[in-house]
Amino acid sequence: MSDSLDALERRIAELRAEVRRAVAARENALARSLRGDLRRAEQAWDAAVTAEAPPRPREAEVSLMPIREQVHQALALLGVPTSAKLVVAVNAAFFARELRGSQLTSLRRDEERSFRSDPYARPYYLCAALTDRLSPARGLLADSTWPTELRVLGPLSPRVHFLTSTMRIAEHLTRLAEPPAGAVRLLSRMAQNIPGAAAGFAPADPVIALRAAGAELEVHRAADAAQRSEVAARAARQLSDVERLFGVTAMNTLRGAC
Amino acid sequence: MNRLQERAFLNRLEELRGPVPARPHDARAIAALAANPGCARRSVMDAAGIDKDRTARHVGFPAPFGQSQFAITRGNGFEALVKENGCAELLRVLRELLGLPIPQVGYRDVESVGSHLRHSHTRALIDHAAREEEGTAVFYDHPLFSLEIAGHTSYLEPDVVAFQVGGRFHIVEIKSFALVDGQAEPEKVAAAARQAAVYVLALRTLLADLGHDPERVSHDVVLICPENFANRPAGALVDVRKQLAVLTRQLTRMTRVEHLLSGLPEGLTFDLAPGEDGTPTRSAEELAEALRRVPARYAPDCLATCDMCMFCRDEARGCGSTELLGRQVRDQLGGVSRVSEALGLAEGTLEPAEGQEEIAELLRLANRLREESLR
Ligand code: SF4
Repeated sequence: MSDSLDALERRIAELRAEVRRAVAARENALARSLRGDLRRAEQAWDAAVTAEAPPRPREAEVSLMPIREQVHQALALLGVPTSAKLVVAVNAAFFARELRGSQLTSLRRDEERSFRSDPYARPYYLCAALTDRLSPARGLLADSTWPTELRVLGPLSPRVHFLTSTMRIAEHLTRLAEPPAGAVRLLSRMAQNIPGAAAGFAPADPVIALRAAGAELEVHRAADAAQRSEVAARAARQLSDVERLFGVTAMNTLRGAC
Repeated sequence: MNRLQERAFLNRLEELRGPVPARPHDARAIAALAANPGCARRSVMDAAGIDKDRTARHVGFPAPFGQSQFAITRGNGFEALVKENGCAELLRVLRELLGLPIPQVGYRDVESVGSHLRHSHTRALIDHAAREEEGTAVFYDHPLFSLEIAGHTSYLEPDVVAFQVGGRFHIVEIKSFALVDGQAEPEKVAAAARQAAVYVLALRTLLADLGHDPERVSHDVVLICPENFANRPAGALVDVRKQLAVLTRQLTRMTRVEHLLSGLPEGLTFDLAPGEDGTPTRSAEELAEALRRVPARYAPDCLATCDMCMFCRDEARGCGSTELLGRQVRDQLGGVSRVSEALGLAEGTLEPAEGQEEIAELLRLANRLREESLR
């Protein structure tokens, strides 16, 4: 019992800090949603402290999950650096959770700040994918526990990522007894852009989509891996820990290149 | 032009502009050059880098452009959709449209280098791609080109450039108007084609500059639009050879505006120098007066392309210009430039001048037919 109270208290403190940060950064929408989370966390704490450990309804548990954990889960499902938009779509399709793209905008910055002040304190960080110039790729989120090879980009990587995420979504769908309609729609939409993966506008068959995406992936895999390992080697040679996770600014890249 | 003449020419342009910085042309402004090539007013203003939008505002005739917020949001949303996941949607369209082979899926976001390096990075990437033997098709997202216009460098941002098999580059233009059964509104397509032609020209200039064959940029541009009002992107090839020809001619003419300048009165200026409060110090009447001294050639399509359109339309109306009736009618009216003149000729109250006999006869005939049918 007191365990869960402790957890809630930590969570409340965390949320308060996040609210302060959001207000300071004028992220009004984020602040509003964080305040909502905070209110719910406080209510849960009230309930937990007065009642004799009432089992928390599943609903509340879902909404209590911090944004960064939601993003982390979506990334784990997809397995490759991903745009905020796709994270939001996957989160909605598979977990029926509502995130907005704007809630993710400051995430990477916050994570970088936290890593700089207390490196490796968290089990994972939501970090950047790195371009071939070792700068952070615009709009892509990645997981710090992934190997560098997986977080750097060559020219073929965006396509490889697209095919990989399509396959991961398809795979996930084959495991579900009752595939959520939203997830099938998401897969269908993606499959339409892969030769042989979808027949017209009909809902995509995960097995067919999986096979077709895999076939195209085979075409790009080797070249992409070679390009990426080259970039990753450079990153290992030239970058500090924090830069390896969050990338370097253009000026620094320039210095490295000259 | 020798050195001295050139200096005098540039001085004259600066005098016309007054002590404000030259306004760089964006693709829309450059594209508009091809829309009404015969207008001296615009040629002079553009050559001198005068801010036409501010000018029009100051004389009290702001252009009615400025897209609605709704249209802008929809346009941006559609562009983002086409480009998301490494241009996955665009890739599908190009595979259908151009037979882009499966291995060619490269994608590079030029913007990831930071805005101050975008131009040089675009150059380096294009150079590299042009050298590469069996080039991987690469989508260059957010490239930045430059084009020299009458002594000023303008920077241009095409939607995407695709490098295509067979060593040809293609410009991709993403528009949010609908393609219905493979067809779109001709006027919108024409405007998109003019704009894309500017990018083709800029890329050709860049290739030539780097010592490559400029013809490697295809004159077929890829127009991407939502299909049948759904959000699914579809593509069409648009041949912009004609727009390119007009544009090239216009740009050469612009650097040859001397003959236009020599006809202008001494000391004429469109000076917009701002006072302390930021509004131009010069009176609106004075500016309008100066504008009227450079002949315009108003046509209804000015309304879609030129910032000065409301001013010129008002002027054309005020003097009963036949230009108001559109290019087709105006051309049919031959040398008759006033509505009142045309009516006079038709009714026989005006004697045709030399060379007007034929059109006068036609007008009289038309008038007779009209009266007979009204009887
Ligand atoms: S609006 Fe006026 S200045 Fe612009 S092209 Fe037409 S006639 Fe020329």
